[in-house]
Amino acid sequence: MAVAEASQSLTIDDRETEGKGINFAAERLAQEARQPLSFSGSRGTQDVTAEFAAAAKQLPPGQLVKDEYFTLFEAVGALEIMDPKMDSGYIPPGDSVEPGFDVCLGLPAEEVIWIMDELLRLTIVWHDGYPLSQTVYPSLHVDRLLSPDNKAPYTFSFGDSTDQYVETEERLVHVVLRAFCVALVKSCALVLHTIQSQGFYEEEDFVTHLFGRELLPGTGADEALRLVDEAVRFVEEESELDKDMRSALSERLQFVRLYVSLLMNDIDDWTDMTAMDEIADTHALARARPEAFSDKVQRQLATSTPPRPMVPITWEEAHQRWLQLSADITEAGDLTDYDVCQSPHGLQRAIWVFVYRNPTPNTFARAYLQNILFAGEQVTEGITFFDLMLTDMRDLVLAGHELADPQSFVVEMPADPRHKCSRIMEAFMDKAFDEYMNLYRMVCQNRCRIRRTFTQSVGILDNLERDAQRSDSELDGVIGGILLPTEDDSALIALNPLTSWTKYHKLLVMSWTIQLGFETDIYLPHETGMMYWYLMVFAQRRRKLLEHIDRFTSARVKNLASSGDVRPHADAVVSLDWLAVLRKEVDLIISLSSALWQLNTALAMTKVIEAPKRDYAQEQLLYDVRMKSYLGIAHDPVPSLDEYRDAEQSIRSTDEACVNVDSAVKDAKACLAELKKTTSKQGKYFGTENEWKREMKQLETTCVAVAVQTFQLRSTAYKHGQHSLKGIVEVRVPPPGSRYHDWWPVPQIKIKEKIAVV
Amino acid sequence: MADTMASAESTEAAEYLEGFLNKTLHLHITDGRMFVGQLKCTDNERNIILAMTHEYRQPSQVDIKLAAERHEKAGKSGNVKVDMKKRFLGLVVVPGQYITKMEVEG
Repeated sequence: MAVAEASQSLTIDDRETEGKGINFAAERLAQEARQPLSFSGSRGTQDVTAEFAAAAKQLPPGQLVKDEYFTLFEAVGALEIMDPKMDSGYIPPGDSVEPGFDVCLGLPAEEVIWIMDELLRLTIVWHDGYPLSQTVYPSLHVDRLLSPDNKAPYTFSFGDSTDQYVETEERLVHVVLRAFCVALVKSCALVLHTIQSQGFYEEEDFVTHLFGRELLPGTGADEALRLVDEAVRFVEEESELDKDMRSALSERLQFVRLYVSLLMNDIDDWTDMTAMDEIADTHALARARPEAFSDKVQRQLATSTPPRPMVPITWEEAHQRWLQLSADITEAGDLTDYDVCQSPHGLQRAIWVFVYRNPTPNTFARAYLQNILFAGEQVTEGITFFDLMLTDMRDLVLAGHELADPQSFVVEMPADPRHKCSRIMEAFMDKAFDEYMNLYRMVCQNRCRIRRTFTQSVGILDNLERDAQRSDSELDGVIGGILLPTEDDSALIALNPLTSWTKYHKLLVMSWTIQLGFETDIYLPHETGMMYWYLMVFAQRRRKLLEHIDRFTSARVKNLASSGDVRPHADAVVSLDWLAVLRKEVDLIISLSSALWQLNTALAMTKVIEAPKRDYAQEQLLYDVRMKSYLGIAHDPVPSLDEYRDAEQSIRSTDEACVNVDSAVKDAKACLAELKKTTSKQGKYFGTENEWKREMKQLETTCVAVAVQTFQLRSTAYKHGQHSLKGIVEVRVPPPGSRYHDWWPVPQIKIKEKIAVV
Repeated sequence: MADTMASAESTEAAEYLEGFLNKTLHLHITDGRMFVGQLKCTDNERNIILAMTHEYRQPSQVDIKLAAERHEKAGKSGNVKVDMKKRFLGLVVVPGQYITKMEVEG
């Protein structure tokens, strides 16, 4: 733990270490490890106060005596002792060391209810990523249970029996509140376990730090449930409280019991958590006892961070977040059910739809979804990850073909070509496995990380294309290539299924990185036009690839129709339908990105959007940095800056640009009209039908918005002569969250009012 | 890192102080706490940067009372031993003005 903590403060800063990097850090770690670490107090210490002080005084001001491996960069992260903002152990003059509240005191029902509600409020805040030190730990009752001096059976009186407490108010604390706290802590332990078993980003999404405490390791979740049941029995049968109080207390106990049972997978209907509504109804019965919570507990916690305040959200907000959590988890189950998982594309869509819920599901909900899919060997009953990938290949490029028939993979005769091909396929799928699974896994992370990971995937998928080409060659060696004559019948072209499949995903991911870039607002206003152009180019390439694949699938459908193989024929027909939908979708992207590219170009031509003045920047260098992740692509390299400039210059006037925009928008609307007629079977969007419809609407609105803005620009340009509109027209791009569709920023044009001079 | 223009005394002082680098120090400060960690850096104001630091605090009246109660309940007799409260902090800087006593281990 200590080493883990210390290593958090290790950084590799090339400026300080002159590029020694990883070796430097390794040496430094080795050096620290060599020093014996003893924290045993006064064993063999020597008082050097006076000598040290005298020596220090001799140093010239500003001179440091420091370890050669210790960098000043790290020093910035050091906690300054006695500074109240940094030192969580600092006690202001006049303040007491400990919070003065005795947790063993009996409390009236109203106050116990308030404490429970406060704990529920703070627990949901913890789910949102705030550390325990700011949320659950400041409860003095919880703090006592978690105290390092305490042990099972964790009681407020340090392991003493609770039988000594006979008064009702005492039992409300030692039986009821205690059961509630134990169960709540256990629920936190279970949530933490789920989150840590899946992908997430520490500090960005969630803080797993336990601050040197443990979450009641000596008591299991079952024991917690037993304690709660006992507490409910006490409330209902012995407490002699009035009806309202009894039901308020029982509801809270039952809620936390429900949560623990759900987390243990004893039961699985998360909609029952709407019981939170009943708790909200009785919240008015609570009477505040704020002394039962104190951030002074931070003085005792192991922490390398400054003290932090407790988080203020209202009870009502907390209520809503609990309901939202329950809704998110229920949805996670629905979106990943057996039927949705039958289609890899459908499942991928479902995951995107999940994380694009508004508000975004919290880290636990996203971990829960990942857990459903990735915790075991199968994504759902009967479908392994291998099955998923094979189905993906089959659906996209090899429908109806033996190569992707699961039956081919169980042929055992080594001489059988199906056996040989299957081994080649498996070897390739092994190589592609991680990156393929990332298409599902990474979408569950926060937006910025999705973009960053997929940006790295581009290079990896490009390399994978090379492996795919090799595997396709090997397959050719066994069964000969899957070939068709070219349009003019002069030559034969090959499907190269594995290469086509890999290339398709590479191009898809490339498009995603740009659109996620729009969503995470990483482009400057003057770069947006260029990025839309690249989006269009990537989409055009994907279109061509789809046409290529389609030719082969069409031919296969014809062959299978005459051969009488019913099942493969049906599969191929379904695939053909889907390929048609994919082509329409990509046509939409081509048209809309073309429109937005040209609108942005028109704004640049009229000087409404300009690059900022940068005296030392060179255009090519800026371009290289912006396009870095795409420049390394070896297979079909992306167009260069010069090629982009040529494209830009092919638009001769603002008016021409505006006319083109209108035409492109018209095309886009036509695509949308077609897409709206697709069924969920054709479009493989079973399970996400509502979101499909909603997205179509958002895209339609985007098209209209583009047309309206273009009209405004065009008529203003006409009125003022088509030269510079700088100062006459202002443009504003709505930030993510306030766009019609976050993946399509549309510039909003504002014409500055002319003030008449009288 | 001694400046070549420095006097002989300051060079000697720097060498003396360098001898403490990476040793474990126990720093006692004005509010009664003690910090135990490895010395990484110091300067002419005696500001100290410690790594892998643990903070020790004298038990409070409440702690002593509770420990005494538990001692009695457990039926033990004689003196109560109450440990200092300890927690891990990591990298800290202790301003020289607050240091009351400095000990080195080993």
